[in-house]
Amino acid sequence: MSHETPIYRTSPARTAKMMAIMCGVCIAGGLLFFTFWDFWISMPPGSQMAKEAAHGPAPGVAVTGKEFDVELSFIESSDFKQLAFNALPGTEGNNPDIMANVGDKIEFVVTNNGKSFHAFGVTEAVEGFEGIISGTEIASANSPLKPGQSGKSSFVASKEGTFYYICTVPGHREMGMVGKIIVGPAGEAPKAAAPTGVSHNFDLNFVESSDFKQLAFNALPGTEGNNPEIKVKSGDTVTIKSSNTGISFHSFGIVSDADDPNSIVFNSAIGSMNNPIKPGETKEVTFTAGAPGSYHYICTVPGHAALGMKGNFIVE
Amino acid sequence: MVLELAKPRPIWQIMFSTHHTDVGLLYTLTSLTFFFLGGALALGIRAELFLPGSQIIADSMTFNRMFTVHGTTLIFLFLLPFASAVGNYFVPIMVRYKDMAYPKLNAVAFWMIPPAGALIWLGFADFTWYATPPYSAIRAPGPAADMWIFAQKILGVSSVLGAINFVVTILKCKHPDLPLSKVPLLAWSFLSASLIIIVAVPTFAAALVMLLTDRLGVSGFFDPSKGGDPIAYQHLFWFTFHPEVYVLVIPAIGMMYEIIPRFSRRPIFSQSSGIFAFVMLAIVGFSSWAHHMYSTGMSFTEKTVFMIGTLAAVPASAMHVFNFIATMWGARIRFATPMMWSVGGIALFFSAGAGGVANAAMPFDFITHDSYWVVGHFHLFVMGTIAFGSIGFLYYMFPYITGRMYNEAMGKIHFIMSMAGTVMVFFTQHVLGLYGMPRRVFDYIPLPEYIVMNQIASVGAMIIGISMGLWIFNMIYSSAKGKEANMDDPWNLGGKYYFPHQAKTPHH
Repeated sequence: MSHETPIYRTSPARTAKMMAIMCGVCIAGGLLFFTFWDFWISMPPGSQMAKEAAHGPAPGVAVTGKEFDVELSFIESSDFKQLAFNALPGTEGNNPDIMANVGDKIEFVVTNNGKSFHAFGVTEAVEGFEGIISGTEIASANSPLKPGQSGKSSFVASKEGTFYYICTVPGHREMGMVGKIIVGPAGEAPKAAAPTGVSHNFDLNFVESSDFKQLAFNALPGTEGNNPEIKVKSGDTVTIKSSNTGISFHSFGIVSDADDPNSIVFNSAIGSMNNPIKPGETKEVTFTAGAPGSYHYICTVPGHAALGMKGNFIVE
Repeated sequence: MVLELAKPRPIWQIMFSTHHTDVGLLYTLTSLTFFFLGGALALGIRAELFLPGSQIIADSMTFNRMFTVHGTTLIFLFLLPFASAVGNYFVPIMVRYKDMAYPKLNAVAFWMIPPAGALIWLGFADFTWYATPPYSAIRAPGPAADMWIFAQKILGVSSVLGAINFVVTILKCKHPDLPLSKVPLLAWSFLSASLIIIVAVPTFAAALVMLLTDRLGVSGFFDPSKGGDPIAYQHLFWFTFHPEVYVLVIPAIGMMYEIIPRFSRRPIFSQSSGIFAFVMLAIVGFSSWAHHMYSTGMSFTEKTVFMIGTLAAVPASAMHVFNFIATMWGARIRFATPMMWSVGGIALFFSAGAGGVANAAMPFDFITHDSYWVVGHFHLFVMGTIAFGSIGFLYYMFPYITGRMYNEAMGKIHFIMSMAGTVMVFFTQHVLGLYGMPRRVFDYIPLPEYIVMNQIASVGAMIIGISMGLWIFNMIYSSAKGKEANMDDPWNLGGKYYFPHQAKTPHH
């Protein structure tokens, strides 16, 4: 075979030169890359993880010495569309409200009873998964609790107001894994304020679903106006007008413990189990709101509160 | 090689040359470098997923960065530049012109790639290669994401410039005696892919500018809190990147059209059906972008339209496969390494396409969406089809580039290990997806099925990794000390085809 021009073939020396150039470029790039290692493993300023790290210890709060344990567990509905703490929405014990006063220490024991990954934290933010208060977190979205695992953390209420305990995995809060921690003012036994002269009128009507499985005030669960939250100031005069629009018997009362119809406070009862408000009747009660704290208004007929006749009554 | 095409020149003269074979060499070496870098990240990802929990990577953010850069690197810095390398070498020779139409533009298009690669690798963004808002618009970490956006802008300009060059070279610079219908199918594949690039890329370029201004806070195109629509980004993105899939796969099929007739020692069964299928693919590629988005709440009518548009790609793809089979049928095939890679690539192309047809059916898509099924499906295309075609073609170019022969036995071992590894990784991932494992996860639920399948996939990835190590050794050793190739017929096939080593001497 004859060629017009000779064929030149790559020599070892030239291969070595090419390799040296290519490896040189990669090594130089690698050096640059690892010089910036701290930069590229750093977190963006807006990120949840950066905020967690930035949170110092909680500001000095006069600790009351009162401690109580709260056990929570992550659960999921079988189709994974509903997430919650302790019980699925609509069942007893779903996302329980936790009552505390400033300075109380709440010890959380949280177990993952679901099939997915979860993490726990307490935040003041009304939505989202940011602003987790330091010391309250158990695991994190990046290193979550696996199914069956559990963890402990504690929360010292530093100020009055509402805090939320949530699943800090993004999106889980929106799917239902959120509950309230309602923190009342400091002091072992909150005192009622002097009468303020302010008066409020509320209408709370008993309603029942046609199959009688759901009971509520004003509107059935899932519709607008269901069990409205009532907030008044300590010392305010409160008038509650209650109509029984159902077909069963009901009675009204504001209680300190939602599970105990006998724990009625402020002389707020309308009727009782033995002398109930009959269907179609309307009765009212007027009383003065006492010591600040979180209370519940319920139907004091046993079992009705558990079926949904229960709302929050908050005295500030 | 071009390295040695004419009288040996200093390497810097090759680096700053504008001759098409020199630029082709630069494209080849750059794309291979990024292939190994991106592949190393893939091995890291598979090692992490070998067991549930954190293995070698500290947290999910680092993991996100790794698979983002893995995907971006292998698509934009390996597959596209490698196709450009092949086009640079072969298109001018096939249309019988002395060089590309615009040699300097050609060199400019190449020299945009290294800075873009540097931006991607030094930034290490974490928002996946889709950069989907709202995350990318609102929270993706600072300079890394912006560097990625600028790198994509640069790469977009580079591929448009390259595409214009190919179109002009093929349509305006071909020899007057050569009718378009007789232009070899490899050159036709570059013509169709280049036309797709010119039509598709501007949409993504616009989306990138919108994303950047969103990140700067001056606009809210994709930020729902400012009245924007994140889904709009997905439409803009996929309008570019579904056709882009065909930009990647069409040159790979073109490479098989070069190898299969040559090693079957026969002309191609039907030149005209090959041309027709390329043009068909280039057109129907634009009618299927929203099949990536069935689960974003489109109306039933929209979904049906895109389902049919997706299925319209099936006949065109099948025409290529039948063309290959008809060419090989009853031929005296010589199973040298390039032919093995091409035939393996066809088999995996068929498998990937079968999965794609199943996936195009929208009820099924709702099950597989965002699961490992999708990962297995598109990797069968990008690795099984496109990378297999490209690696086979590199073996085919090797003697013409270096004047030396690669080690045939090592090439065959490389193929067998890669084929086995690819099947292990990506077929398993299909099943894993049907078991419900989501994609882009750093950790997974410790179900025994998940663990076993992830381990099969990880072992397969290691097999591919070892075979690629064998390959790079073969390439380096053979280019230095391999036996001298018979430049007229390196594989003793008999007859002559093209004469890549007789490309015009560089004058620049």
